[in-house]
Amino acid sequence: MPMPARSRMKMRNSSFFKAAMGSLLLGGFLLSYGQEFVQDLGTTNVAAEQSSQAILDGLREDDDLKDERLERALSTTIAETIKNEPDVAIRSMGPAAARPVIKGLSGNHVEVTEDGSFNGDMSATSPDHAVASEVITARKLRIVRGPNILRHSFSTAGGVVHVHRKDIPFGDTIFHGYVAGYGESGQPGYATAVGVNVPVDRVSLKGELSARKMNDMNTPDGELENTEIETSSGAVGGAVPVGNFRFGASYRWFDSDYGIPGGFIGGHPNGVDIELHKYDLTLRGLYLPASNFADTLDVTFRKNRYHHKEFETAESVGAEFLVNEDNLRMEKFVSLLGFFYGIHLGGELDYRSVKMGGYVFTPPTYSYSGAVFAVASTEGWKGLEITLSSRMGAVAFRPRESVVADKDAIENRNFALFSFDAEFSQRVGIGKFLTLDAYRTSRAPTIEELYNQGPHLAAYTYEQGNHKIDAESGYGGEIEYRGYGESVNLRASMYGTWFLNYLAPRATGDTNWSQLLPIYRVQGDEALLWGTSYSIEHDCERGIYGLLIASYVRGRYKDRRWRDMPQIPPFKAYGEIAYKFEHFRPGANVTLAAPQNKTDRYEERTPGFVTAGLSLETRWKLSLAEYSLVLRADNLFDADVRNHLSRLKSVMPEKGRNFSAFGKVQF
Amino acid sequence: MKSIKKLSVALLSVIFCVFFAACSDDSSSTSTEQHEHFEAEGWVLRWPDGSLAYRVYQGKADSSLKPLRVNANCLSEHINVKFLDDDKKEISAPKDNEHSLGWTVGDEKILDIEWEGGWGFHLKGVKKGETTLILKVKHHDHSDARTPEIRVIVDEALDADACPFQDEDEE
Repeated sequence: MPMPARSRMKMRNSSFFKAAMGSLLLGGFLLSYGQEFVQDLGTTNVAAEQSSQAILDGLREDDDLKDERLERALSTTIAETIKNEPDVAIRSMGPAAARPVIKGLSGNHVEVTEDGSFNGDMSATSPDHAVASEVITARKLRIVRGPNILRHSFSTAGGVVHVHRKDIPFGDTIFHGYVAGYGESGQPGYATAVGVNVPVDRVSLKGELSARKMNDMNTPDGELENTEIETSSGAVGGAVPVGNFRFGASYRWFDSDYGIPGGFIGGHPNGVDIELHKYDLTLRGLYLPASNFADTLDVTFRKNRYHHKEFETAESVGAEFLVNEDNLRMEKFVSLLGFFYGIHLGGELDYRSVKMGGYVFTPPTYSYSGAVFAVASTEGWKGLEITLSSRMGAVAFRPRESVVADKDAIENRNFALFSFDAEFSQRVGIGKFLTLDAYRTSRAPTIEELYNQGPHLAAYTYEQGNHKIDAESGYGGEIEYRGYGESVNLRASMYGTWFLNYLAPRATGDTNWSQLLPIYRVQGDEALLWGTSYSIEHDCERGIYGLLIASYVRGRYKDRRWRDMPQIPPFKAYGEIAYKFEHFRPGANVTLAAPQNKTDRYEERTPGFVTAGLSLETRWKLSLAEYSLVLRADNLFDADVRNHLSRLKSVMPEKGRNFSAFGKVQF
Repeated sequence: MKSIKKLSVALLSVIFCVFFAACSDDSSSTSTEQHEHFEAEGWVLRWPDGSLAYRVYQGKADSSLKPLRVNANCLSEHINVKFLDDDKKEISAPKDNEHSLGWTVGDEKILDIEWEGGWGFHLKGVKKGETTLILKVKHHDHSDARTPEIRVIVDEALDADACPFQDEDEE
């Protein structure tokens, strides 16, 4: 029987190792998502005796953006907040419509989840669609990498961004809450949030409200009109224990009005205003066997409704999207079984209905999907740890006839999907790990990729789906080195994915002359995507803190000859230096992006940029509350920043000099 | 135990009620419907005598034609709107009542449009200068087709009597 990972860790009783791994233990090193709940119940001792997670997954969780790190990075959107993480870039069209890009992959290659279940919006389908999730109320942001991606998505080549909110407050047995506020000058406005958790007898209740109002964005070239954002969101949730069961429910809503600027060739001169509403009802049940509280069975049902309208003028609806989605997710966690530990077995059933209105040429379509997944770790020899995962499933699309759709394109399509990931992590020294990851990635086309046939006003394109395409598939690998020293942590990674059928809209070079819009058509092509990322961090309790992160990715289509892929972010580096006092942390940072000259046909090149910033943080913990204040000055020299993944780049630069303040009181 | 159960049921009921109250109004259909759309590869504007005033096919305007002109304080002659299909063949405007002519004037202090319904219009000079005009086929709340920016020159103002074109209806 292999020795449990936690026990193996305990055997290394050197102070050096303790120092290197201390933060991991604090960060819930051995606790998977289900077990966080167990920890919340106060049964940490039970969980801690069990091996429940691969060492590498624990190390990855230490990369989570939470607490101080989250407050330090907090910005207007989730994408903007995680933009300096390794392998992450932003696809955007104005400050509101920003979505994370991971390893050069965007859209449905990157799944965004809230509390472990899907975040029902349409942000993956078009660059002008915002991620319907408020960042100021997030407790933690996690970029899932490696085999655990398959618990949520088939796209192992991309990634998953978890937004942790804990809307269902399992195990919250004390009264606590927070008040947070954010304001900035770059896009003058504010965001504020208030949340409270109240235990009533054995029932835990949660309530949360947030509001955001930001005016037009200031750039070095002046104000960029129609970039305002007005958002409100809230959540209520409750949880109750009944014997070995825990039941909970939550309701979350998100309303946003935001602008997409105009001025593009073929676009509306005054831009487009977008109004979206999202509602989620989540029911969740947990079963904790009396024999082992760590071995949870987690059942989640989420009902989601998303409604989105694009206005050309105050009353003129250019496009409308209505999505209803129901998802049932079951996941059984087994901490130890034979040679394996940290076992996740689960499945998902999903129903989605998409209806369009206004000037959209996509037929109403229903989709049905199901998937099963498994993740398990085992120990090899001499510190080798192997994690295997797989996900298989199917998706069926059932389009309905519509007056606008191309009759020939109304075709039922079914896709079978299979992805796997095998990760071999070898301990090559104390706190040093060398990992080889081999995977198969796949993805079903989206409704839009199959059936869309028409102009998209806010994206300034004429989009043509392709109902004949096959599912996306490819094979890839990654080599990663992680070294954890007494004060210096190092991570280096190289990866590559060979796509046999990479799905993406590609500029055809044709124009729809009725609307004068460039035509993009979805195609499946052979493509090779490879990249590398590095991070080195010097950290200690007091004293100098330093961080350097660099990411590079390159993508090429294999047409008749190799051709650069569109929308690939350029080389980017982020450096930060700070000094940690007991209560203060002054710091300075620099961001550098190289020019992107490796572009697809019809794609514009983008110049590079360098920006500099300063920050000052202060944190106080008093008997009744914790206070934190983060002051930042970003893009101090008002540099002309052009984001290669933003269609705005041809019109205006990104945000200019920006002074911001974030304050939070937790009680 | 009973009180906990009651409280749980009450809590879940409240959440359900809020959810369904919020969603029940229009959860199954969009507020705007999809309709068949008009497509054109080009536009043809003609003066009443049939001569060409402006022509654009697949985004390229006929450069042999002079820019549209009108005097400030005056109306132009009536301009008829036709369209071009894939084969450059002239086709008529949609005949249903869902489509209508629309326009955007670059500078409304220089130029205005006088429209009496149908698929024709008059240019109306407001002030001497140069501006642009975009014609559209309006369909419900959006436009199905549009022209590139059409250059329009407004010449110096004339007295109403001196305007080259006199609107008989006004008389």
